[in-house]
Amino acid sequence: MPEHKEASVDSTSFPAPHFDVRDYARTAAGSHRDTLALETYREHPLTTDTLRTLRYLQIIERATMTHLRSVLVTATHKDARITAFLTTWAFEKYWIADAFEQIGLAHQPDGTDVDRAPFNTPSEHTIRESVIANIIGVPMIAVHMTLGTVDTWLSRAAYARVTALEPNVQLAQTLASFSQLKERQLSFFEAQARYRLTESKQGRSLTRRRLTKTPWPIGAKAEPRAATENFFSRLFGDVPQVIDELDARVDTLPGQSGLHLLRKAAQL
Amino acid sequence: MAFDIDKYTSTSKRVAWGDLDFEEFVTNPLPEATLRALRYMCDIEYHTVCYLRDLLVTPSHKEADVSAFMTMWNREEFWHGEALSAVLGAHGITVDFDQLKATRLKLGWKDRLDPIKQSLLGNIVGKDFIAVHMIWGAANEWSAVAAYNRLADLEQHPVMSELLRRIAKQEARHVAFYATQARDRLAKSKKAQVLARFALKNAWGPVGSSVMEPAEVTHVMGHIFAGEEGLREIRKLDEHISRMPGLEGLTIVETSMKKYGVSGPKAA
Repeated sequence: MPEHKEASVDSTSFPAPHFDVRDYARTAAGSHRDTLALETYREHPLTTDTLRTLRYLQIIERATMTHLRSVLVTATHKDARITAFLTTWAFEKYWIADAFEQIGLAHQPDGTDVDRAPFNTPSEHTIRESVIANIIGVPMIAVHMTLGTVDTWLSRAAYARVTALEPNVQLAQTLASFSQLKERQLSFFEAQARYRLTESKQGRSLTRRRLTKTPWPIGAKAEPRAATENFFSRLFGDVPQVIDELDARVDTLPGQSGLHLLRKAAQL
Repeated sequence: MAFDIDKYTSTSKRVAWGDLDFEEFVTNPLPEATLRALRYMCDIEYHTVCYLRDLLVTPSHKEADVSAFMTMWNREEFWHGEALSAVLGAHGITVDFDQLKATRLKLGWKDRLDPIKQSLLGNIVGKDFIAVHMIWGAANEWSAVAAYNRLADLEQHPVMSELLRRIAKQEARHVAFYATQARDRLAKSKKAQVLARFALKNAWGPVGSSVMEPAEVTHVMGHIFAGEEGLREIRKLDEHISRMPGLEGLTIVETSMKKYGVSGPKAA
């Protein structure tokens, strides 16, 4: 198969052709505040453990802009279909993070201030990243689309586990709706990733290297290591098979087999 | 004057045009020169994500309010692109994502180096650079409000003028954010004032001038801002900017318009 350097310019063959980006943008989910039924938590409060996990999930969702930065300084920003998707994706993530924040606040005394602390992003390699990524060019897009795929798989698995561990009807409903949003995002990321990995050998090897170096979940760098350890051990400590299943899915991505990314991240 | 970020995010909407009768364009189409200006504005709105990326390589994105604003702002501007693209579509002009991609590819090395330069500068001067980013954004958004309102006035078209006023209203909210941020940050730091003055004086150009061909910039700015009325608008923009702490006496808009051959009454 030929290496399509600029695959998506060719209208007869481009990644994720079934995904209508304009329709996605038009029907994206905004604020969830009206559907969170926060008052129900007064009567059925969540456990401290769950609140801690939700707080973690909120922070990694909010780390979108930092992630977007490393994506946009590369050739990925040239692809207007992808940027239209990412614009909407960032919007949906913002409101998912907001929902987690609101649920947390519902467990605090009235009038508790919203956390407006700056994001903690310890290592800054923007310049180096920009130089390297631009030399690499288009195959970098495969990396970003694959990162999006794996991260969204992990988020959906995490939501399912929170629901399993905390029998709260309202939270289950909220998380199920977020999981659906993520499923839709996934149909873009995954189709893009599979296409680009199939098309480009350089994309496959680069992605392999980058996946290994990525701290999971994306955004984990914004939190102390202990918080990430808690996230994995609480949600997946008793069910390592879920982590194995996620790794098995990564194995099905072209050129990405045998990485055991999530097993390593979870340290189970 | 504080800017209420929660109020802004929770009322951020994509601009609506479904209620406007686009059939009007069949019997009352827009003239060629106006379509050319709309095409320019449409491209610029879609390219907002490229500016976003320039902003993200500075430390600004780490601040929660700024990050929240940028998420919504980027999406609103994308939808301005969609709205203008619908108007162009009603005149048989298709704006597709692949064409936008071609424009971004043409930017070449200049564009690739920009975020590196900005990041270098941003990292050296740290927090003070955020003020530059904010006054830059304010200048651009002020220009956008003026341009949309002026084009609406010039054309007096029942559908297009209404749509442009709706877009201008959203841009005015962006102004409020950028100007509030800029004023506070400039007032607090002499160094920020010096940096902002330097950056504006040496590098500012009409919105879109770094992305579009100079001939297009001249056409569009001339179409919108030529003549005595136009000059008055241009001077109003400079007044807004020069009222900021430490930016007294700057006339960057008038100067750069002259550079592109847009001058007052003579060009009318």
